[in-house]
Amino acid sequence: MTYTEEERAIIRLDSYGLEYSKKAKLYRLAPSARALFADFGKYRSAVAETAGEETAERIERSLADKEYTDGLLHMYSEKRIECVAFVSEKYPEELRQIPDPPLMLYCRGNTDLLKERKFAIVGSRRTLPQVMKRTEEFAEGLSSKFVIVSGLADGGDSAAVGGALNSGKVISVLAYGFDHVYPGCNRALLERVEKKGLAVSEYLPQEKPLPYHFPMRNRIIAGLSEGVLVVSGGEKSGTRITAAKAYEYGRDVFAFPYSIGIPSGVGCNALIKEYAKLTENLVDIYAAFGINLTETEKISLSAAERAVYEILREGEAHISEIAQKSGLKLHEVPIVLTMLEMKKLAVSCGGNRWAAVC
Amino acid sequence: MLSKVMSFALAGLDGIPVEVETDINNGLPSYELVGLADAAVKESRERVRSALKNSGRKFPTQKITVNLAPADLKKEGSWYDLPIAVGILKATGQLQGADTGKTVFLGELALDGSLRPVTGILPLLISAKARGYTSFILPAGNAGEAAYIEGLEIYTAATLTQVVDHLSGLLRLSPLAAKKYEAAKRGQYSSDLAFVKGQAIAKRALEVAVSGGHNILLVGPPGAGKTMLARCIPTIMPDMTFEEALEVTKIHSVAGILGEEGIVTLRPFRTPHHTATTVSLCGGGTRAVKPGEISLAHHGVLFLDELPEYHRSALEALRQPLEDGCITVTRAGGAVTFPANFMLCASMNPCPCGNYGSTDKVCTCTPAAIHKYRSRLSGPLLDRIDIQVEVDSVKYDDLVADTAEESSEIVKKRVERTREIQRDRFQGLQKMTTNADMGEREMQKFCRLSRECENILRMSFERLKLSARARARIIKVARTIADMAQSEQIAPEHILEAVSYRSYENFQ
Repeated sequence: MTYTEEERAIIRLDSYGLEYSKKAKLYRLAPSARALFADFGKYRSAVAETAGEETAERIERSLADKEYTDGLLHMYSEKRIECVAFVSEKYPEELRQIPDPPLMLYCRGNTDLLKERKFAIVGSRRTLPQVMKRTEEFAEGLSSKFVIVSGLADGGDSAAVGGALNSGKVISVLAYGFDHVYPGCNRALLERVEKKGLAVSEYLPQEKPLPYHFPMRNRIIAGLSEGVLVVSGGEKSGTRITAAKAYEYGRDVFAFPYSIGIPSGVGCNALIKEYAKLTENLVDIYAAFGINLTETEKISLSAAERAVYEILREGEAHISEIAQKSGLKLHEVPIVLTMLEMKKLAVSCGGNRWAAVC
Repeated sequence: MLSKVMSFALAGLDGIPVEVETDINNGLPSYELVGLADAAVKESRERVRSALKNSGRKFPTQKITVNLAPADLKKEGSWYDLPIAVGILKATGQLQGADTGKTVFLGELALDGSLRPVTGILPLLISAKARGYTSFILPAGNAGEAAYIEGLEIYTAATLTQVVDHLSGLLRLSPLAAKKYEAAKRGQYSSDLAFVKGQAIAKRALEVAVSGGHNILLVGPPGAGKTMLARCIPTIMPDMTFEEALEVTKIHSVAGILGEEGIVTLRPFRTPHHTATTVSLCGGGTRAVKPGEISLAHHGVLFLDELPEYHRSALEALRQPLEDGCITVTRAGGAVTFPANFMLCASMNPCPCGNYGSTDKVCTCTPAAIHKYRSRLSGPLLDRIDIQVEVDSVKYDDLVADTAEESSEIVKKRVERTREIQRDRFQGLQKMTTNADMGEREMQKFCRLSRECENILRMSFERLKLSARARARIIKVARTIADMAQSEQIAPEHILEAVSYRSYENFQ
């Protein structure tokens, strides 16, 4: 991997681990990052004023070390990290347009995905099982037209990533450096994303997953994407930040509607009230982008399966309730439900209750 | 003078003949007990001395040496009191004319000369019989269990005086009348499926599990009735045969938990608390190697309530006995094998707070906490639990509903019929009585899948993301369901029902 002089200068600038606002100010001090370091003597006092005397001294010290940037790049390539700087060709145009674009994107995986059309699917950690299934399907369907962008949290995010993984068209934006994994149980998922899709982070490899990183990360998800689908979100969910950012950047926001009283859907409904487009199927999303959708295949159902499916469409139901309404024997119901589950039309919600995947 | 009296030592469930040699010499009065006796045996000296005196016999004020041969075998237990006392009487000439020959003496003495019952009588008698010993003198308190062994000449005595009178021919005891197992008074299980309202899915799963000898995991919120359902399992299992009852009684006898009846007629239901250690589950101990809970549950049910709360090491130790039906406990003193062929029934909450999937209560657990809770169970252990079923909380209307629920008796009849089919199938195959015991080879032979079934199975793996090892489990359960329907072939609906018993994986 070869980098231009300007790219190398930005990689150097980012390596000091400054907070975003200081980094951005330093970058704007000189006409280019390269100029900043080439004429550091000229800018030194300004640097010290913005980022503190200590930082200025650190930069000075590192400038004395001729191997500094090469050492950094060597370390990154050891960690299989590819650097995409603000000025790089691979840096996505959509992201450049946002008011606070990341200076650096540290990438692992297929960086070509950055230049394709992107669409974000985000959800909260507490997502209903039937919504998880639905999210997976949406991600799978949308990945035929878009690269799916998401986080890597449990729940909605993982479902979106999982659905898009098959096609390999998936970008996970992390809120921490590549030395870490959060949540730990998604380690395997992250590895698969790195292998088949792309994992992106604004943070230096050693940065930990700190709470304030997550809202910052959300701006990248929003900034990368032409549209954002919010599949679930409570009153104070991080998904609302992503949606708000997307709205601010002028991107389309979509949300699943929820019936009244479901805590994990309050945020979605609030978004619909404000600016999000109510979304029930892929057509709702494709229509906004002027994409035509070909008719999906019809699934054949037996009489009993149809009867049970119709019952489930009216709402979540307990097995005994299904037996009562359908006239099936109780022990026959699980058989039909398993069949429906295989046809991806029903999903277990726990406690012997089942719901339809609409 | 020297005398010899026969007794037995217990190693695990095996009896080993022990010769009690008593020698009395002139010299300073002393009492020496040799032959690797443990503390309880050593203390017999004081009991024997008082018992003899209080029975009107003389305790010699001479040099007494008692040897328990073979000298390299550790002797534990309190039943050497009687043989030692008889040995001293013989050696001091207080039992003239009596020939103890191959009569085996077992019994603990009280200070007043009465005989106390001891543990482990049944396995000792069975081993002794196999070794050709036929005549026994036992405490009266052990008559209950001893009576079930046929073909033995057993005398039971309440006091040492009775034993002496019997041996000297003064007042012969009458031999113990053998009891038939069929005549044994059967206790009643306190639970019955008829008392469990609703829960039809779980009941069906229980029936499938018991019919095919499958282990079962009940998943449900607190108060859903998991324990109540589990307690019903023994009530729908087929009655124990005499051989089974004898095996169970042997173990319970060694553990010293045998009731008055003398023989165990009801299938054991063991519920060790989740603080149980590996040793208490599997057996062991520093002194005598005692059977653990899994052996006490032999031919019955081992119920582990709140499975994830158990120590990981204790759970992992269950894997081998679940496979082999026995456990070998190895200690420095040697290895002992206990039978442990039990049905495992476990229960757990769906998440730490217990409300995951509930309609009326909110689950407050984070996904990470649920992950952590469930990951306490290892894959290999779950592999041995063929059926995983959800038990949901009962609605109030169901509780008070006056619907007639099937009684355990009716379900048991069906289970027996299904077990019959399996017995016929596995005839001539070693150690195989139920579908759950099947290995890869038997599955190939007895569980041929039609193309339609194979397709459904394939589809369920692809669509439901089942783990590869779930396959064997599903096929075995499907075989049982087919047997219940008295169907020679496994049909698609049998496969589908078997697939539905995997609620634990549903959570993943």
